[in-house]
Amino acid sequence: MSARLWLGAALALVVAPGAGRAADPDPADTLAAVIDQQLAADWAARGITPAAPADDAEFVRRVYLDVIGRAPKVAEVRAFLEDADPKKRAKLVERLLTLPSHAAHFAAVTRAAWLPQTVTNQQFAGFGFQLEGWLRTQFRDNTPADAVVRKLLTVPFRVNAVGNMNMRFAQADGTDPDAFALVGFYQANESRPENLGAAVSRLFVGVKLECAQCHDHPFAPYSREQFWEFAAFFADLNPLPNTRPSDTSPKGPQAEINRLTIPNTEKTAVAKFFDGTDPKWAVDRTPRRELADWLTRPDNPYFANNLANRMWAHFFGVGIVDPVDEPGDNNPPSHPQLLDALGKAFAAGKFDNRLLVRAITRTRAYQSTSRLTHPTQADSKRFARMNVKGLTPAQLFDSLVVATGHREPGVMKTNTFPGFVQPGNPRSLFLNRFATSEKTTEKNTTILQALMLMNGAFVDGQTGADRSEILGAVVDVPGWETSQRVEALFLTALARRPTPEELEKFSSYVDRGGATGDKKKALGDVFWVLLNGPEFLFNH
Amino acid sequence: MSFFNTDLTRRHLLRVGAVSTAVSVSGWFGKLAQAAATGSSTKPKRSCILLWMNGGPATIDLWDRKLDHENGGPYKEIATSAPGLRIGEHLPTIAKFGDRLAVLRGMSTKEGDHGRGAYLMRTGVSPSAAGIQYPSVGALVSKELGDPLAEFPNFVSIAAQRFFGLEAYGPGFLGPQHAPLVVGDNQFGGNNNAGNVDQLLKVQDLDRPKAIDEASAAARIDLLRDMQEEFAAGHPGAVSKSHAAAYDRAIRLMQSAGGKVFDLSDEKAAVRDRYGRNLFGQGCLLARRLVEKGVTFVEVTLGNWDTHNNNFDQVKTLCGTLDAAWGALMGDLKDRGLLDTTTIIWMGEFGRTPKINPQKGRDHFATAWSTVIAGGGVKGGQAVGKTSKDGMEVTDRPTSSADFLATVCKVVGIDPEKQNMSNVGRPIPIADRGAHPVTEVVA
Repeated sequence: MSARLWLGAALALVVAPGAGRAADPDPADTLAAVIDQQLAADWAARGITPAAPADDAEFVRRVYLDVIGRAPKVAEVRAFLEDADPKKRAKLVERLLTLPSHAAHFAAVTRAAWLPQTVTNQQFAGFGFQLEGWLRTQFRDNTPADAVVRKLLTVPFRVNAVGNMNMRFAQADGTDPDAFALVGFYQANESRPENLGAAVSRLFVGVKLECAQCHDHPFAPYSREQFWEFAAFFADLNPLPNTRPSDTSPKGPQAEINRLTIPNTEKTAVAKFFDGTDPKWAVDRTPRRELADWLTRPDNPYFANNLANRMWAHFFGVGIVDPVDEPGDNNPPSHPQLLDALGKAFAAGKFDNRLLVRAITRTRAYQSTSRLTHPTQADSKRFARMNVKGLTPAQLFDSLVVATGHREPGVMKTNTFPGFVQPGNPRSLFLNRFATSEKTTEKNTTILQALMLMNGAFVDGQTGADRSEILGAVVDVPGWETSQRVEALFLTALARRPTPEELEKFSSYVDRGGATGDKKKALGDVFWVLLNGPEFLFNH
Repeated sequence: MSFFNTDLTRRHLLRVGAVSTAVSVSGWFGKLAQAAATGSSTKPKRSCILLWMNGGPATIDLWDRKLDHENGGPYKEIATSAPGLRIGEHLPTIAKFGDRLAVLRGMSTKEGDHGRGAYLMRTGVSPSAAGIQYPSVGALVSKELGDPLAEFPNFVSIAAQRFFGLEAYGPGFLGPQHAPLVVGDNQFGGNNNAGNVDQLLKVQDLDRPKAIDEASAAARIDLLRDMQEEFAAGHPGAVSKSHAAAYDRAIRLMQSAGGKVFDLSDEKAAVRDRYGRNLFGQGCLLARRLVEKGVTFVEVTLGNWDTHNNNFDQVKTLCGTLDAAWGALMGDLKDRGLLDTTTIIWMGEFGRTPKINPQKGRDHFATAWSTVIAGGGVKGGQAVGKTSKDGMEVTDRPTSSADFLATVCKVVGIDPEKQNMSNVGRPIPIADRGAHPVTEVVA
């Protein structure tokens, strides 16, 4: 189907529901049509032949991984493949959004993006868990993104500095039940204004100011002074001069908590918005509240575009601005109008994350195959085919659990910390061995990861018929042809049926008993091959 | 002995070559890697061993004695084989190699916290919330000097203690193909002599599962290859290439004599005793074996240097472990003609306070301390830099962490100003611009 025909079909879908009744079209459909139109125009202009649509099997695995963080179970795959409803893809997304695992996955991904230090540094891991639990509730309740960020930035705390000024603890002050979780964000940033300023500008403005922490930004027009002016919104993390750190008495006008001394200078930086305007300081409005309100104003393009871009990058592996937090002249958006359209729709939709999820998953680009079918699809920034993405460690292990039927004790699931390996806990082993902070589209496999998947106790156990739930069942079902057993293994591992060639090849391998003449073992070999292959290990 | 039949092995070797080359030139830093790969075949083989003293060693008691000051503590000083270079009395074996050691007495760094200090010393840069993931020195050096087609990983980390900062040990923006192969990680201490040391030093999951015989393993791999090739044909790109390359290297390690290197049981008992029957000692023995096989960068961790209490008894014990292992390593490398091509770095995340605290301990101190660089490329037999009489400040040749990293580069023959593409889309030099290598120690 040509891009134009496809666009026509997409638009027809948008128009159809409105045609019969007066109801407005679903805003997600409207936004999806805008995305389709913008991308199609870009493809046409560049002479790109977009990839064919993904079939149901490719789509179902992808959307499960992206929305709820694991591959689908066999029964879920079969149900989807057999569903005749033409709107089953959108319907599936609706259902996935209601699952607890959606909230858990988005919370985990958000935590890793907001607090990358908690993924790799044991010292901060606990703070990450604190914040992640709170985020899970927000995604479950679908709290609008602006409300989440406002809450995060205005949480009340008091700061204790212990020993010397370098060790600080932001502590919940007890007036807000959410504060116990939210101070984790400050703690993981060592409760330093400069760290918070760097993190918040990166995460919510989408501008990486921190290079300007020490010197003027080499590639972008950000000055050192601007960095410290932004950091000054968090000056209340600095212990006040001549007061005990735990002193919580009113601080009066904001004069004491909206300014910082720039290190190694005599200069004072007063908090100032990134666009150069000043807050109208008032006694009852703290600098952090001023910042939060400015940031989440619907007409602040930094915020809406940046968050929409992050959501885009979650589904495509590559942002429209990429890296996602380095906009600027040296890193222009690949589709500027599309980014603005996404940001505007996000703001107009009251920062509803699910609007973006629904719209993106309905687009032609998201529903394209990841298979390269024309050389013009090679550039990952043009979204002419779905990018291949690495799995997060949790996505990988959760998908292994589903594929193998491993019965995981609850305590093993919840009780894992990065950096500390619990020898008897396979989840802990996988989370540690696969820990990474790289981009999903640049996922590298290490030798130790390959060895763990090939020879490690977990996969070994799950590919032995006497110990594996699902393999055991596949081996034991009475009356099945070998081809049915092979098909079942493909469905559980790869969420698809084998091609005729694969079916023939693997069935004959099993029928001759593999290398040992043992059919059960040979089925284990097939399962091992599927679980070690790139099709299982990546999201495509 | 091979797990797989020879036909298969030969075929895989060919594939390994093809796939790995493809990876090295097509990553997102393609040209840089290509240059490194081309360069590696012409340069003489260089290796580097980092002896990492986790916890922050009391360098004042080891390398920069203050005999005439109360801060000096109870220990004496001994002469080394180099006239004029004197070191702490608990390093008698190392003292015999004084002519190969350069002590940097002017270290003055910025971080006094374990996690931040380790990151600073291992990457040359303080951690910031910047989101730039700096590579550790092992990744930087092995990327420059290692051969991407080598049988062994170019970077092996032994007995690392990574609780407080995985990223200080990682490849950062260079990517996981430059990550260390880690053995015996996250063991408390390194001077423990637990009976399972041999087991700890083996590569995890290197042996094929017991229930799988050689023929089945070969059949599995064959089927897997087909799936990999099929996937890569439809999905060309870094992700699928990296998957194939990692499996190739893992399989080579399994099936070649490679895995045997990690099995120390074929060393003579007397040799093993000389290194010390503990994790660090045997780790140093393993480091020697790896360097003999051409591995570019090996690091071995000795922990428990965080001597806030009872510093002197602890330092004496730790020095016993250190002196035996490092001394044996120097001797073996020399006997094998490898000391001229192998650089040994000794450092921790910071030094310790000259002033002795009421618990007879020393606390964290980054303002004035020492590191050591020895062996290949080093002008030995000297100390560079000076501290004041009380050890509280550097009075000559202050050396920052970036200066130190640049010095390591010069010694092993790398341009410290060479740039790598970072994860934030701009090139970053190996050592910070403005770093001054301590050229006095470069041979």
